Amino acid sequence: MDFLFNLRWDIIWNYRDLFLQGIWITIVLTVCGYIGGVIFGVFLGLGKTSKRKWIYWPCKLYVDLFRGTPLLVQILIIHLALIPSIFGQSLGVMFSGIAALILNSAAYNAEIFRAGIESIDKGQTEAARSLGLTQGQAMRKVILPQAFRRMVPPLGNEFIALLKDSSLVMVIAVNDILYAAKVVAGAYQRFWEPYLTAAVLYLVLTYVVTKLVAYVERRFSIDYNPRKNKEGRVAR
Amino acid sequence: MIKIENLHKTFGKLEVLKGIDCEIKEKEVVCVIGPSGSGKSTFLRCINLLEEITDGAVYIGGAQVNDLKTNINDIRTEVGMVFQQFNLFPHMSVIDNVTMAPMLIRKINKKAAEEQALELLAKVGLKEKAYNYPQQLSGGQQQRVAIARALAMKPKVMLFDEPTSALDPEMVQEVLDVMKQLAKEGMTMVVVTHEMGFAREVADRVIFMDGGYIVEQGLPSEIFSNPQNDRTKAFLGKIL
Ligand SMILES: Nc1ncnc2c1ncn2[C@@H]1O[C@H](COP(=O)(O)OP(=O)(O)OP(=O)(O)O)[C@@H](O)[C@H]1O
Ligand SMILES: [Mg+2]
Repeated sequence: MDFLFNLRWDIIWNYRDLFLQGIWITIVLTVCGYIGGVIFGVFLGLGKTSKRKWIYWPCKLYVDLFRGTPLLVQILIIHLALIPSIFGQSLGVMFSGIAALILNSAAYNAEIFRAGIESIDKGQTEAARSLGLTQGQAMRKVILPQAFRRMVPPLGNEFIALLKDSSLVMVIAVNDILYAAKVVAGAYQRFWEPYLTAAVLYLVLTYVVTKLVAYVERRFSIDYNPRKNKEGRVAR
Repeated sequence: MIKIENLHKTFGKLEVLKGIDCEIKEKEVVCVIGPSGSGKSTFLRCINLLEEITDGAVYIGGAQVNDLKTNINDIRTEVGMVFQQFNLFPHMSVIDNVTMAPMLIRKINKKAAEEQALELLAKVGLKEKAYNYPQQLSGGQQQRVAIARALAMKPKVMLFDEPTSALDPEMVQEVLDVMKQLAKEGMTMVVVTHEMGFAREVADRVIFMDGGYIVEQGLPSEIFSNPQNDRTKAFLGKIL
């Protein structure tokens, strides 16, 4: 175990700006990818609950495609093939990276939304529709507010997964945390220090996010549904 | 008020309603009885199109419900429905359950909606529960809130699908009392029920359904005391 005593942390310090930038880039990738993925995912998820075949099938195909192939492959296809084909040129690695994360996480979020929506009792929709609400109004006022509470934990997990998966965009040379580690490793031909540093930075970030998710979960699971009433009897 | 012509309903290959003709007049209280699986719920749910109608026609106040040109949401605002399982919205307080639809659809302001809701809740005896959540109420209380919620849209007709079947026996009466009061005030009501006492006392007409047909109908006194059809006799023999 002598290598532990021979570690040269000064090389990390020399490259601290690169690592700080890497942290920032990783945060931007994750946050943008997540927000975009949630918004796009809502529509995909709603589409997957649709009875209309021409809405359902494209959504299902999309979700199956993105869940059934490795993110790494998706990143390469999007950056090297898809974007140049559509726009005639690359729009930069950051654009490609964020686009890939949005498109990928949307597929996972879609499943979370679909499951959340379908977990709400059919009687809720019927009660809302029988009052004269449209399908859309019933969704907004009755189904989604209830479904959302059930979606918070899996959506939190998805955020953490995305944070870690964002490191894959290094293959197209986005300068995130892992990229910084790779540069340092290449410069000094030392591997413990840079990659351990990257690992610790990811660990710290996931820890912070875990705490954040736990907080949001507590906020949103405010018990509107207490099992017991005031007299302590079990309510029906 | 409601006119039903040759109503057919099939689920896949299963024909549940095999041609129902029926007319319900304004202020009439009609109780629908019959064995389990005879199509009572399906019949009721076809009236406000919670089930798609396979064939035939349903008219409410002159408008054909199952016509593509009819806006079904407009019709439904005129037709209140009360379910066996209450189906209150658990994420809203009692008063929000009652005010939500009028504010959203009738566009009345919050203050007016809440005033109306408190009146309705007082009417069903639950004014003091206005700011509780549904799960904090007993089954009977929840069902009374569900009635108030439906009434808040000022419907012309109320449909009840076994409103007391999911209740503990000691809570049945409080719900029936509210329904009786409603009948007395002249509400047009169609009630699927197993409460024969209620049907005998409140109904203007009793419809006996079996096997997807209306087998027999008439005054409660006629149906209960002097049924003509053998199937009606058999059914009433079992439950009375
Ligand atoms: N959505 C559905 N899909 C398939 N079959 C259905 C559906 N809804 C009802 N049925 C069938 O239709 C028949 C009539 O059902 P319905 O609920 O109308 O009976 P009911 O008279 O209300 O009975 P109960 O007294 O048990 O409530 C039953 O055989 C039932 O299994
Ligand atoms: Mg039924």
